[in-house]
Amino acid sequence: MLNVLIIGIGQCGNRILDSINKEAFGGGKLSKYYSRQKFPSRVETIAINTAINDLKEMRYTKAKDRIHIPNLHGLGANRIVGKQCFIENNDMIMRNISERGEFDVAFVISSSSGGTGSSFSPPLIKELKNKYDFPVFSIVVLPFREEGTIYLQNSAFCLKEMRESETDGIILADNQFLKNVGGNIQTAYDGINKMVAERVLFLLEALDSEMMMVTDLGDFKTVMAGGAGFATIGFAKGDNITPIKTVIRDSLSPSGLLFSSNVYEEGSRAMIILRGDRKYLSIDDISSEIDKLSSHIGHVFKGVIIRNGETPQVLSVLTLETTAELDNLYTLAVEAIHMEKEKRSRMAIRKEADAIFSKIDGLEPEY
Amino acid sequence: MKSNRIIIHSILFLYLIILFMGVTSAADNTFDEKIYEGDGYQINNYFIEVSDITIFSEKLMLEITIYQLKPDGSYEELTTSTTITKDKRRVKYQSGSVEIIVNEKNLTSQYTIVDITTAGIVIEYETAVDGGVSNANYIGEPFLTLTKEVDKSNVEIGDIIRVTIKAKNDGNGIAKRISIDQGFTPGFTFKSNIYATYPTELDIDSSFTQMFIYEIEATNSGTFSLSPATASYSSSVFDDDYSSTSNSPSVTVAGEAVETSEIDIEVRADKTKIKRGEKITFTIHVENLKDGPASTIRIDPIIPGSMTYVSGSEDIDIISEKPVIQESVYGAKYEKDYKITLKADEIGYNELIVKLTYNNGTGTVNKEITSDSFYVGKGEFDFLAEYPIYIYVVPVLIIVAIAGWLYWRRSQFRM
Repeated sequence: MLNVLIIGIGQCGNRILDSINKEAFGGGKLSKYYSRQKFPSRVETIAINTAINDLKEMRYTKAKDRIHIPNLHGLGANRIVGKQCFIENNDMIMRNISERGEFDVAFVISSSSGGTGSSFSPPLIKELKNKYDFPVFSIVVLPFREEGTIYLQNSAFCLKEMRESETDGIILADNQFLKNVGGNIQTAYDGINKMVAERVLFLLEALDSEMMMVTDLGDFKTVMAGGAGFATIGFAKGDNITPIKTVIRDSLSPSGLLFSSNVYEEGSRAMIILRGDRKYLSIDDISSEIDKLSSHIGHVFKGVIIRNGETPQVLSVLTLETTAELDNLYTLAVEAIHMEKEKRSRMAIRKEADAIFSKIDGLEPEY
Repeated sequence: MKSNRIIIHSILFLYLIILFMGVTSAADNTFDEKIYEGDGYQINNYFIEVSDITIFSEKLMLEITIYQLKPDGSYEELTTSTTITKDKRRVKYQSGSVEIIVNEKNLTSQYTIVDITTAGIVIEYETAVDGGVSNANYIGEPFLTLTKEVDKSNVEIGDIIRVTIKAKNDGNGIAKRISIDQGFTPGFTFKSNIYATYPTELDIDSSFTQMFIYEIEATNSGTFSLSPATASYSSSVFDDDYSSTSNSPSVTVAGEAVETSEIDIEVRADKTKIKRGEKITFTIHVENLKDGPASTIRIDPIIPGSMTYVSGSEDIDIISEKPVIQESVYGAKYEKDYKITLKADEIGYNELIVKLTYNNGTGTVNKEITSDSFYVGKGEFDFLAEYPIYIYVVPVLIIVAIAGWLYWRRSQFRM
């Protein structure tokens, strides 16, 4: 049995972590009252945030698993303050982690754009890598592009620092790409959180289950070591008449992926896990479809989990050699940085305006 | 000298008279009786029986026996001596001063004629008896039962009451020399004798005999027990005096008419059937029917044990946890309603008893009235109590356990 550590940092990381815990309970609103979490492995979850209200909003993560960085009410998306704050609270966070025992793998979930998540994740991953031997993978959520210049520049620097933190792989999820989930912003966020949670739980099951065709943590590490260090996850669910080939293709299509990617052109390595009743899982069809993928990108690990009576589901993990969407993000981020610089310049002008007011310094109105 | 002779002759004459009287009183009673064989003659409790007349050697033989009768019905044959002079028999019994002598005068084969002479006996009873000593009756002590009756027992001052005194001899001896004291009572005045002739002697087992009828007039108010009549009497068979006393009839004499009050009381319930736990309200209606005032009124509603007092009119006080109505005066024709509300605690039939006490001007009057019966049925939720306790305990425990679990679980997820 694997020992898994999942850390959710900042508002986005906290919500995805809470969604993972909720799905582990079974997904029902009241499931935490009557059900036990059904993780296939020993899973420890930790939520870290500087904003106590974000921690209080969590419903399915136990209070003892929530760490509030004291004397703060959020960082206001300021990564400089955030990194300094992490340094000051590093010992407390690492002590909490070390008290939870030994782990075989860790996932750090955060957004790339906010304050706490984007500024805490890279140094935390670096600390984990320095202190422990287990692989640390990060799951990073990219912002809506129209959310603002600060978020864009935060994302650019966060991803860069994440790469430099010696993480064993960055799995990307893109809000911009996923906003077609529908509904209002809150519904979209909830939907995205649930999508990420479902995929993470499926992935944990794939790493720690008895399977007809086996994939394990080593396979996952090999896949994540490929490409440019970025990866994404695809997922598709078939019904009892959908051919398994179609379900595999759906998991690799934009409708199934968390990040916009042309799998067949940008993919480097992949791991495909299939789950469902044996009658839906034709080995020939599976091999045929996976061979097609491997002929484009190279090596593809495949695993099959037999679940009697279940319709087929497919999880695909793909590392990317290149990603056009990331280029686009960085282009926007550079523009954002320039815009922020311009704003700074305009602030200097405002200071001149302030000098006008200095003319009445020392005077009092006469009536 | 001549006058001395007259005095001496007078004294001698008186002496002879006294001597003659003394001989007479010393005894002798003589009976000339014809008695058949087997019959007899009773004198007081002595019995002379012609026991047998037989012919022996063509001569008639006579056997006479003298008996002493006993109170228990038995008799004793007395020792006698028999002498025969000129074929005539003489039977003699003597004990102390008592002497009985029977002289045969004539004798046939069926009867004899005898002279019976007694001495030392005051004859109270003498009679011929058919059938001999076994048919004789013992003459014992008399006992008079005396009654005193009045024709009215409730009268007013000035009314006349007729009193009758009767007597009956319930003893076994004749009552003689009867005298009666009528027993007059203070508070009454003798008016007139209606009938005063009574026998000086009463036989055994006589029916009641009117001895006195007289009238008295009530002069004072109150309740009186008339003084009993007393009869004094005697029996010479036994040298004792006796007396009997009558009953004392009660007579109530009302005083002058006083203006009084009379309170009428009613109790009405607003329902005839309620459920357990529900309330029922009674109206106690009181009314002074007369022109005189009633005072010191107290009304006590007696709450049934299966009910609880809830509330009542403001005139109702709670004394020792019981409702009590106390009023000083009800004027003439005064009416009032009091309300009292009770709650039913138990199932069953109930009624409200109300006790009323008041002074009507002449004394204390007590009344008690009971409401119509009303039924208390099962309460709305009584069926719940019909189930065993675990029916409630188990779900409660489950709910508590679930609530505890939810609270504990929620606390795990609250920050």
